[in-house]
Amino acid sequence: MPNASDLARASRPTTARPTAARVARIAALLALVAVVLLFPSLAPDPFILSVGVVILSYAVLATSWNLVGGFTGYISLGHAAYSGLGGYATALLITRTGLDPWLSLVAGGLIVAVVAIPVGIASLRVRGASFVIVSIALVLILQLTFQSWHTFTGGSGGLRVPRPFGPEVLRPEQHERFFYLHAVLLALALLTWWAIERSRLGAGLKAIREDEDKAQALGVPTFAYKLTALVVSAFFTALGGGLYALWFGYLDPIFQFSILVGTYMVLMSLLGGVRSLFGPLLGAVVVGYAVEVFKSQYGDTQFHLVATGILLGLVVLFMPDGVIPALTSFVNRRRRASSIREVSAEELANQREEAAR
Amino acid sequence: MTGALFAQSLVLGILLGGLYALLAAGLTLYFGVMRVVMIAHSAFLILAAYLAWYFHERTGIDPLLSLVITVPLFFVVGYGMQRFLVSRLRPISLTTMSVLLTFAIALTIEGLLGFVWTGTQRRVQLDYSGTSIEVAGVSIAVVKLIAFGLAAVSLGALYLILRKTSFGRALRATTQHPEAARLVGIDTDRVAGLGFGLGLATAAVGGTALSLDYTIYPSLHWHWIGPLMAIIVVGGLGSIPGAAIAALLLGVAASLLQVPLGTTWAQTVFYLALFVTLMIRPQGFFGGRLAQRF
Repeated sequence: MPNASDLARASRPTTARPTAARVARIAALLALVAVVLLFPSLAPDPFILSVGVVILSYAVLATSWNLVGGFTGYISLGHAAYSGLGGYATALLITRTGLDPWLSLVAGGLIVAVVAIPVGIASLRVRGASFVIVSIALVLILQLTFQSWHTFTGGSGGLRVPRPFGPEVLRPEQHERFFYLHAVLLALALLTWWAIERSRLGAGLKAIREDEDKAQALGVPTFAYKLTALVVSAFFTALGGGLYALWFGYLDPIFQFSILVGTYMVLMSLLGGVRSLFGPLLGAVVVGYAVEVFKSQYGDTQFHLVATGILLGLVVLFMPDGVIPALTSFVNRRRRASSIREVSAEELANQREEAAR
Repeated sequence: MTGALFAQSLVLGILLGGLYALLAAGLTLYFGVMRVVMIAHSAFLILAAYLAWYFHERTGIDPLLSLVITVPLFFVVGYGMQRFLVSRLRPISLTTMSVLLTFAIALTIEGLLGFVWTGTQRRVQLDYSGTSIEVAGVSIAVVKLIAFGLAAVSLGALYLILRKTSFGRALRATTQHPEAARLVGIDTDRVAGLGFGLGLATAAVGGTALSLDYTIYPSLHWHWIGPLMAIIVVGGLGSIPGAAIAALLLGVAASLLQVPLGTTWAQTVFYLALFVTLMIRPQGFFGGRLAQRF
């Protein structure tokens, strides 16, 4: 038997409602796409273009990291393990088996996704603490192995990655092509995040993030969901690492399996906001730009460690939800004297109606 | 492997294991009182080693005496860190956020060490650095023996504090059940702060012991945090005896494997033990109920 609120809801006209916000969002998205597409032609010199490639690469890595970090709340400090493995897998497949570079890239991503399965089984059965410990251990052990295993990986001497484009493609053009390739990969990673967010899997993962015990009690297959998220994330991270390796053309275990690279991914995602689709991208633009400027100004000093450390500490202490939520809540606090409820009853009713449709 | 070589490796493994045990006990303390995985522990370890080296460099006095300064200093820093930084984090995401926070502290310390004392490798030179004593065909470097002695004495002291004092009882109560501890009138915030201080004091002792025998450089702490993390997981998060047993076993295993495999590959035994433990017994081999949820 229908109750009063059902009747009230049914009597309202069902038109597409909050159009202003949606239009603004689509406009922003189009602007973002336009900026990315136009950047290579606007960049004044190849160096700026190469910085753009680096930032896009960071954005790919951070967005991929967010597939597990943002959805489940499990923080991985060692995602450099997957990007490094992706780079090495791509390079070794090309040099050892003579496979086509682009096929190697995809195959490398798949191999790393398979590698992530046992890692996930070991680290996801218990809660966050073991996961973090394993993620750090994985980077350290891989750095150790890839440095020592001279015959296979080139050891600490590094490994040259053959270029996928012929010698007729000059450096600036090389940068431009890789810029677009990274942009495509970024779009794929963002699309995956968006699709998962709207799926049953995404709902389950977010339930795990908010309260794993309750999620489990409600019948969410927590372990399988967490493992899926980790494997998908490792796959995209590996593609990011592989694409970077193809562009950069050289792999060194110290920089591939670096704790610092993993930290950048966390810092970027956290700064931008792990709960939003574009948070990691925003973080990557801010942090990536800062890192590049820092490097070109001061060189590779120990000081960037201090700066990264302090920035990460500040973000964790003062805005663990990221810049966007921190700013919104600040603005809200200014606008309204008291904000006991962040959502008004009317907004809530609208949301329910939208969800019911 | 000959018998003599075996005995030698075994003794070296036990001596190293003692130091691991002390440091792992510190990590276990933080985890016990706050459910915090303290990544910066080994960074503080290296910091203490640098302070001991610098103390010796400036005054010429034995670096062991720097303990008089570093232990109280680290205790206060640890207390402050808990009260002013870790306790500010939201309880709901404490475990993961505290990892990030302490990780940030570790990076900052590493960077500052490199900034102040450059990346050059440092080593304390003492008149007894090279001497060793021979017992039943096994020669043991005096510095390793001192380091082990320091670790053993500190572990013993830690045990006595936890078992025999009322503060120790309060700390164990806080570890086991914070709410119940509050109900019987224990100021758990203060106890957690003091527990942190105690944990960081172990890093001060360990660092001084480390400075006697090791060449130190800023990024050395990554070589310590991995094995230490493995030890506390194998031992069962939160269990000090478990951590000590795991430390000795893995220390000996790494030392014995060094002979056929070399230093680098022998290190992997820690990570292997970590993965195997999580696969077959994720709560660790000696841990109690506490470990199952983290």
